Amino acid sequence: MNHLYKKGIYLFLCVFWSAITFAQVNPTIKSTLNGTVQDLTTNQPLPGAVVRIKGTTHSVSTDSEGKFSFRTGQSFPYVLIISFIGYEQKELTVNGSPVTIRLQETLNQLNDVVVTGYSTQERKYIAGSISSISGSTVQNQPSGGFNQLLQGKTTGVQVTSNSGVPGGGITFRVRGNNSINASVDPLYIIDGVFVNNSDPITAGLGNQAASNPLSDLNPSDIEDIQILKDANATAIYGSLGANGVIIVTTKRGTRNTKANINLNTFQGWSTAVDKFKVASGPEVALLTNESRINTAKDNGLDPSTVVLPFPDPSSQPTYDRISGLFRTARTENYELSTQGGTDKSTYYISLGYLNQESIVKPSDYTRYSGRLNYDNYLTDKLKIGTSINFTRSDRNLSGSDNNPTGVINSALFPRSYLPIYNADGTYARYGSFDNHLALIENLDSKATGWRTIGNIFGEYNILPGLKLRSSWSLDNTSEYDNSYSNTLISAGIASNGSASSSEVKTQVLTNEQVLSFVKSLGANKKHNINALIGNTINTVLNQSTTATGTGFAANSLKSVSVAATRSGSASRAETKLLSFFSKASYTYDGKYTIDGSIRADGSSKFGTNKRWGYFPSGGVAWRLSQEDFIKDLNFFNELKLRASLGLSGNQNGIGAYAAQGLWSSGANYLEQPGIAPTQLINPDLTWETTRQFNVGTDFSILKNRLSITADYYNKYTYDLLLNVPVPYRSGFASYLQNYGAVRNKGFELGINSTNIETDAFQWTTNFNISFNKNKIEKLASDISLGASGRNISILRQGYSVNSFQLYKQLYVDPQTGNAVYDDVNKDGIITSADRQIVGNALPKYTGGLTNNFTYKGFDFSFFFYFQQGNKIMNMNDFFMVHGGTQANIGFLPRQLERWQNPGDVTDIPRLTTYSANPTQNGGAANNYGGNVASLSSRYLEDGSFIRLKALTLSYSLPKDVLGRIGVSKLRIYVQGTNLLTFTKYGGLDPEVSSQSNNQNTVGYDWATVPQPKTIQVGANVTF
Amino acid sequence: MNKLYIRNAVLLAFILLSASCKKYLEEVPDNSLPTESSITDASTARAAIIGAFDRVQGYYASNYPTLGTITTDNVIFNGTLSEYLQLDQNAIPTDNVITVAAYQNIYRTINSANSVIAAVPGVADPLLTTAERNKILGEAYFIRALSYFDLGRGWGGVQLQLKPTTDLNVLKGIKRSTLDQTYDQVLADLIQAEQLLPEDATVRNRAQKSAARALRARLHLYRKQWADAETYAGQVISNTKYTLVKPYKSFFTAPFQTSESVLELAYSANDRNTYWNLWYPSSAGGQFTLKPSDALVAKLNNPAIGGSRNTLIAGSGTTVYGVLYNTTATSVDPSYLIRIAELYLIRAEARAQQNKLTEAAADLNAVRARADVPASTATTQSGLLQAIEDENGIEFAFEAHRWFDLVRTERAGAVLGITNRNYWLFPIPYSDVQSDPDVVQNPGY
Repeated sequence: MNHLYKKGIYLFLCVFWSAITFAQVNPTIKSTLNGTVQDLTTNQPLPGAVVRIKGTTHSVSTDSEGKFSFRTGQSFPYVLIISFIGYEQKELTVNGSPVTIRLQETLNQLNDVVVTGYSTQERKYIAGSISSISGSTVQNQPSGGFNQLLQGKTTGVQVTSNSGVPGGGITFRVRGNNSINASVDPLYIIDGVFVNNSDPITAGLGNQAASNPLSDLNPSDIEDIQILKDANATAIYGSLGANGVIIVTTKRGTRNTKANINLNTFQGWSTAVDKFKVASGPEVALLTNESRINTAKDNGLDPSTVVLPFPDPSSQPTYDRISGLFRTARTENYELSTQGGTDKSTYYISLGYLNQESIVKPSDYTRYSGRLNYDNYLTDKLKIGTSINFTRSDRNLSGSDNNPTGVINSALFPRSYLPIYNADGTYARYGSFDNHLALIENLDSKATGWRTIGNIFGEYNILPGLKLRSSWSLDNTSEYDNSYSNTLISAGIASNGSASSSEVKTQVLTNEQVLSFVKSLGANKKHNINALIGNTINTVLNQSTTATGTGFAANSLKSVSVAATRSGSASRAETKLLSFFSKASYTYDGKYTIDGSIRADGSSKFGTNKRWGYFPSGGVAWRLSQEDFIKDLNFFNELKLRASLGLSGNQNGIGAYAAQGLWSSGANYLEQPGIAPTQLINPDLTWETTRQFNVGTDFSILKNRLSITADYYNKYTYDLLLNVPVPYRSGFASYLQNYGAVRNKGFELGINSTNIETDAFQWTTNFNISFNKNKIEKLASDISLGASGRNISILRQGYSVNSFQLYKQLYVDPQTGNAVYDDVNKDGIITSADRQIVGNALPKYTGGLTNNFTYKGFDFSFFFYFQQGNKIMNMNDFFMVHGGTQANIGFLPRQLERWQNPGDVTDIPRLTTYSANPTQNGGAANNYGGNVASLSSRYLEDGSFIRLKALTLSYSLPKDVLGRIGVSKLRIYVQGTNLLTFTKYGGLDPEVSSQSNNQNTVGYDWATVPQPKTIQVGANVTF
Repeated sequence: MNKLYIRNAVLLAFILLSASCKKYLEEVPDNSLPTESSITDASTARAAIIGAFDRVQGYYASNYPTLGTITTDNVIFNGTLSEYLQLDQNAIPTDNVITVAAYQNIYRTINSANSVIAAVPGVADPLLTTAERNKILGEAYFIRALSYFDLGRGWGGVQLQLKPTTDLNVLKGIKRSTLDQTYDQVLADLIQAEQLLPEDATVRNRAQKSAARALRARLHLYRKQWADAETYAGQVISNTKYTLVKPYKSFFTAPFQTSESVLELAYSANDRNTYWNLWYPSSAGGQFTLKPSDALVAKLNNPAIGGSRNTLIAGSGTTVYGVLYNTTATSVDPSYLIRIAELYLIRAEARAQQNKLTEAAADLNAVRARADVPASTATTQSGLLQAIEDENGIEFAFEAHRWFDLVRTERAGAVLGITNRNYWLFPIPYSDVQSDPDVVQNPGY
């Protein structure tokens, strides 16, 4: 690796050197030009506009008063090209100094410049499907990760927060799940850096992803976000692009602008929308008695002979554990940044602090972030720059989900008549569960992350339009986790205290060279060419070291080094990726665009026979609005049709050495080293490939007041990197091979509307909706998994991923009170063959509706998010509506709806623990046990919801007031998050996915922290 | 000039890059060996047999003893994980996690043993003496015998894999054998093992001649070959290396490796066995999924039945728990595979079946005397057989015995109420039925 970098540096130096020699050429001065650039309507100066003499590379940018000057070898007259982001580019012939140039502001999104793979393009020429989101959309929100905040903001992405834990894991999909065993997460690129998105936290938290690695980026630093969705847009990222690409550009200064200083702060207070409710002590006692009597009847005994466990249920006490769990959680956020530029350089520097508590004790999240973005124009031709992000994150972790000694589990599941403390004042524990207060007071699991995302680049304009860029990037993640279980919590009782300390390091090094060519040719510049060629070298190195110790002299001693018994382990895995790519786009007359790209990728993960993959794509766009027959209609301001087709690949999510035949070490016995076979060789292992077809249209009407984007896509992913189950007699469980196929197709619609626009009042609406249909088209055999071996999730050919397989409860027999299930194979008995797919966790559609009202200095907005058609497996009900079968677990109030007397109509069967005849349909054994073992569709619920995600009212002080206090901008606001939710879901929160560590076990609600309701007040000040 | 320079530099860089491309993409792990060079010398041969023992630990640490206990009247389900509830209720779906894991891990063990048996004879390394080579091979044959025996008594006749899996083609066409064929293979391997294995006075955590003989005695018992069972059990009992230790609890008290043990797998701080976690209540840091039944607790606490074996349980009221696996602080409980007490009870049963009632009673009472229980009052053949069955249930209450004993004596219906004989065998894993055209599911699943 090192020697390659040396070669690269050598190459870079070559380029650098030639640049300096170029710069030493001294031109003869033939003319001097002074001028000013202004906004056409307001006549305000435009600082930072770029003025270039046409046909040369000589360009300057305007200063803080919009002024510029040229001393040039060109003689008058010559043509200037003036460009400024957000304004129409203008060409102007000058024949003498000074000049005043007025630019027209761009009203149409189609003219925006869009960052696409390795280049920027004007939106009107783009044939692919790309969503652009302004950074302000994700700012000043009570949440750490920008990707989480994209929920409902644009088409084609589905975002779910897995829990309400701050900084916790999220599920982010672009146009559905493409894969089964390989990764389904998109590629994130921040300022040109391919960033690592794997959760580095090792502490066991049940099956939940402990962190969202993208929350290491402070959303306030973001300028804009592009989401590349179709093959035309993503194929240039070849092997990394199949799951979509999220390109984040952070803020940079503008040349010749005075420094401004921004101060942002907000304070938030979060509470639970709803808290867990459990049956009271008397209710639990009553239900337990009833179950005992019913069981006796089922066993043919005389119920009057039964000794009731609770002769007087009403005398049972009730101990409230739930209120001890929740708190009003605080969020504090402070940010300070400065932004500006001189004639030769620009800068953006920021510092941020975020501290967020979870509404369920004791988790919290703290982030310290810093950023430096700096660019220097060494010469007219050579620019160098850097973007560096430093983040430290501190997390206080707490387990949940399927971990019986998690905080929520230990409060929710124990029976409510059992006291929290023993008579001697010590913590009481029951069954498999710990004591929740002991956990809250003693849990000590801290994860400290250090993240450095840095990039340096040089850009050299070889000739007008021809530019070479070389970029060197590092994403360094260092996660240091320390956890200590003292003797007051059950994890530490037996071992007399147990500690672990682990460090996980991930380094992603990327080097890329891109030579790009942008040129307009021919008469009237009718031919526009945008082409590039480049390569990348990418190395990902994962290393970890863990030390554990048990047996401590005192609870205050926590270091592994003082443990009586210590052990350690370490691991290392390195992968490499080499890529060569090229892309070309040609536009004729601003009407017809055709483009194509190809990328070749070689990965160290794959078999020696098929290491390289090739990913082509092509697209066409037709701007009908430039055609006379459309212009004559006088209806469309813009109308474009797009179509694209291409391939992209996937290699993420499989092991670094997945293709190799391996015997692992570490199969030790008697303190001697052992080896044993662990993996079969597959020399033919190669890329998982996604073929995607996309057609779309962008149009705007009514003077650009209403603009609409619509897309249809059909993605077919084949050669899945699939762990194909093999017969166990081979000594292996599965064999990773390219087998299987998944299809995602869908439709997306985005509407932007300016409903009312006057000088004083503005009302805008943004609506988006995305439909996706997922289907497994080919699979070797069913793969069942999830819920700690209960196999509630299933992957089956012909169905979508994330399906649930359960016994379908048809009804509870009003006469007997026993549950009757769908006997799928009609053999008269209930066996595992009668499990069927009864729903899935993927929504049919998701979307968002944002309304924004501006009146003078006031700004009022509200944002609804909705999703429809997904199911949630309510594991809390599964465990706590158990009919008496779980002696150590209490009941939820839903259990009180059980059948009691002939004639009762309910979906909760009669209480019993009878277990004979487990195959009998409508028999007592299958009510809660038997073959069904409570894997019943009665615990599967509709998870559709509409939620008022955000409601914001803000006020910006008028300029004249501000001028007097020396402030250029002051905005104060109050915001409510998750204020209203409309759902039929019976659990606490429909936005939940507890088993999120595995992409194929989505949609479980299992002792999880719900999304909080938050009220925040904040201020943004600019000096 | 400048352009030429750049072009040359780019060209040079490109050539160098493409030359090193292929090499650049070669990555090998630092914690695994390539399959083709896995067993090549004395050191890797030793490591491979150690790896095979590690695989035996893989199914004996927790899964196999669970299958032998919670399925019976000795142990009940007390947790939240439904895979244990299924076993307790003897309503075992084909994807029951415990049966699947045990089945899978046993075949993993077999693949390790097969690899040793295939590769070690060909290792040309002067450091590998004939004695050591024989020992390694003997252990591999023993481990394969044990594995197929454990498959046979749990799942019936299984597919006999006798070659290492180098690719999936070696699997083709191998159908399930009959139980007799599976047991014949076990016998063949045990004969090999007994010849090749060493025997000394101390080793109890690796296979030796006596372990092979003991397993052979058990095999003959399962096959109702009473005379052979008596002979081989007798050979082990007469070895002074083994005694019935007193008090009863000393064999499961650290540091273990008592003379009670014919074969026990050892664990250490670096190689833990956390099986205790399933037995201990959360107030002691466990999960309490496996709980001694009230009936068993009553028997253990009865001086005439349990005697000093009441040390198998602790706690009171509703929180009585099993403490056979008790190293909660260190997690080093052995897996108890063969204890000398079993050989006494094998010989007792074999003798009773051959109507040698006095000798049978003597063997039975040796075990009872060790537990401070009065001698059995049984005098008839059937009375003795019943007494031996009961004794097995108490003596090995939390080990992988009672289920397999009740199935082998065809008493599971009478004792456990499982009248449907189909459920006397565990199901072949669901995913194997899906992925293996050569396998046939056990009837009734």
